[in-house]
Amino acid sequence: MFKQKLFLSLFSAVIMFALKYPAYPQVTPEIQLGARGVMSFNVDRASGETASAVNDFSDSGPLVGFRQKLYNNFRGQLVIGFQFPDADSDLGQLFFHQVFLKIEDQSNILKMGRSRVRTALIEFPTLRDDDALHFTDVLNPFSAGENSEDNQYGNVLEGTHIFGQRYWLRLHGEHFTETPTAPGAAETDFSLNAIGLSFAYRVPASQRWNRPILDQVGISFNNFLTNRPGDFSEFEQALKNIIVSTVVNVKPNPMHFLDVRHQTIYNVGFGEFTELNEYADLARTKAIGTFTSLRYLYRSLERPTMQLALSFGYKTFPDLANATEQFQVVANGFYRLGENFDVGLQFQYQKFNGDLRGILGSNEARIQFALIYSIDQLWNNQFDDRDSLLNLEHGYIP
Amino acid sequence: MKRREFLATSAALTAAGLLPGTLLSEAVKQENEKKFPKPLEFQMVGDTKEFELFIDIAQQEPVPEFEFHTLSFNNQIPGPEIRVNRGDKVRVKFKNKTELNHTIHWHGLHVPWRMDGVPYVTQMPVMSQQEFVYEFVAEPYGTHFYHCHWGTLLHMQSGMFGSIIIEEPKDDPIKKKFPYEREYTLIYSAHDTNFIRGELNYMLDRMKERMYLMKNGRFDKERFATFDTKEQFLEAIKNGYSPPYTINRRAPSELPQPQWFTVNGKSYPMTPTLYINEGENIRVRLINAGQLEHSLHLHGHDFWLVCDDGLPVPQPWQQNTARLSPGKTLDIIIEGKNRGIWTFHDHDTSRVTNNGLYPGGTLMALVYEDMPPEEAELDMMAKKMGLKSLPIVALDE
Repeated sequence: MFKQKLFLSLFSAVIMFALKYPAYPQVTPEIQLGARGVMSFNVDRASGETASAVNDFSDSGPLVGFRQKLYNNFRGQLVIGFQFPDADSDLGQLFFHQVFLKIEDQSNILKMGRSRVRTALIEFPTLRDDDALHFTDVLNPFSAGENSEDNQYGNVLEGTHIFGQRYWLRLHGEHFTETPTAPGAAETDFSLNAIGLSFAYRVPASQRWNRPILDQVGISFNNFLTNRPGDFSEFEQALKNIIVSTVVNVKPNPMHFLDVRHQTIYNVGFGEFTELNEYADLARTKAIGTFTSLRYLYRSLERPTMQLALSFGYKTFPDLANATEQFQVVANGFYRLGENFDVGLQFQYQKFNGDLRGILGSNEARIQFALIYSIDQLWNNQFDDRDSLLNLEHGYIP
Repeated sequence: MKRREFLATSAALTAAGLLPGTLLSEAVKQENEKKFPKPLEFQMVGDTKEFELFIDIAQQEPVPEFEFHTLSFNNQIPGPEIRVNRGDKVRVKFKNKTELNHTIHWHGLHVPWRMDGVPYVTQMPVMSQQEFVYEFVAEPYGTHFYHCHWGTLLHMQSGMFGSIIIEEPKDDPIKKKFPYEREYTLIYSAHDTNFIRGELNYMLDRMKERMYLMKNGRFDKERFATFDTKEQFLEAIKNGYSPPYTINRRAPSELPQPQWFTVNGKSYPMTPTLYINEGENIRVRLINAGQLEHSLHLHGHDFWLVCDDGLPVPQPWQQNTARLSPGKTLDIIIEGKNRGIWTFHDHDTSRVTNNGLYPGGTLMALVYEDMPPEEAELDMMAKKMGLKSLPIVALDE
């Protein structure tokens, strides 16, 4: 044990020395450190049974980025981050959700690695990213549904071209995690199992005080390359989804800001899935899901003070023999205690009809009291972001 | 090609454009003239010389391949030079084309106090798209400068400065002692380009929000962090107002650390060249519009220090190193007594760097334009490297 400790200490010392005194001058990268802590006390009542969790810290974790200028006006970036997933997620104690490299210039982005898959066009004001996952994301048809990360993260290869600062055309290919694997076995096939294309109009965040009413509108086509049983062509084997989204700033007032977010996901589905026997069928039968949020943000003295949001979700499965529907309501409020430090309260209620009752139960209610802290710090800052005010309004500097 | 070889090649290529054969050509001299502040045209309105200045956001390129966003007067860095005679009535119509607040302070001039350009003391800030008219009588004689007095730490290192020269055309006290025909204005500054970028973005964002609120009648003085009295300020703190310098708000942990040093907006090798002939006197007006002190040393000469803060010194004295503190102006006379190509630079050599690498910054040269070409011939080693004559611009590390 002593030898191990001694070895580790010496090894660490050598690494620290090497980092501090590199053999020759190197480009010093920008170093970005992000971290988010979401701690909540939960009380659940699902299908008549009550449970509570003293501390749910899922979705918490750090994110580290390194970025430097390349030749010919390009920039290169490495991002590594991990999260503490849900205790019952089968992902272990840590899940590396972001491990990717990116190169970009003013209007092109190439990204490779583990990252957020493009199963949603916009984000919604919920406590955690996956609080309304069945409505906000296209579900992964290869997943057994043990965790939400299967739907949100995957191995991605994507290229983006930006026209006129606001029009984003993106072509993306992914490997979505396939579960379950055989007991004790790890996933070994990481081939492409999804491709997609999206087009979106987005007002950059730095333009928020220029009174844009229409903030975002987008459309996306996602195709999962499944092994659909039966005699089908490759095109027919692809499970197709269409996402349409809009964000409208109803009242773009800095003090009393009000916006509406809406996203509809149409899963074309496979016609032979007329009943839900297991979780994976949820993603393979035809479905139309829609989610809408109304958000009010109060900013006092140029700093966010309070946010209230009310969201509704509705989903229907037209091909199922039993009429099956899913509803969700999420109401939450956050109050800012300090810079990026919030206290929040969230209530959500879900109701399931038809075949869904066999998989998800009849209903679920959850109340969460949460503390949230996030940081985003930059060291060795050397260049500006694409969407900064200076770069957008006063000429782009590579 | 290895990196070091590439650098050596690029240095040689850069040098090719600045070889002495061309250094003394008319074309190069004309190009060099553009590196000095351009005189601002005026219009006579009655008995008053009327000038127009505006402020906008521009991109500054101290050296090729490095640019940063900055502010500028009349799209020039430094701003144009205002030249008037002592006693002239002067009117400057100032237009703010940016979304930030500004004023103009006339540094060293005896203007009426309401024309002094200090926000909340002598005037309200000139807000976006607003105009303000400054009027004063040009006093006293000498080398002075103007600069923005709003957000001074940011705005002064962001190009918001220019020279104002008040002359005695018929009875110049310096010309009497040291007859000269040519003169040069050199304005020194230092820039933390990362600080400038971050603060400009932040302030632009904040001002957009404020302008939105103003248009909707929702703006109050607390939002502007502006109070009528200190008592009001203390009362606001009691009621929950948190000043920006507190550590639970946005106070930056460090003050700006300039890593670019410019003369007339340019860094070596793009700094201006001072030309002189044997037997000639030239007057050099040195202005420090930055926040750092410069210790300016001229090789091979002792120059005469003739004016301090624009005022003629009772007894000029000779030195070869002048201490140019922030906000100071010094006038020196260089006598053409030692033919050659001489370096003129900050002897705090940390300011002779570009982004931390030597050489760069405020390095510049005094060049005798009547120097015979054979005196600039290179030694064998330089010829073997393919170079042709002095001075060579070398950027190798």
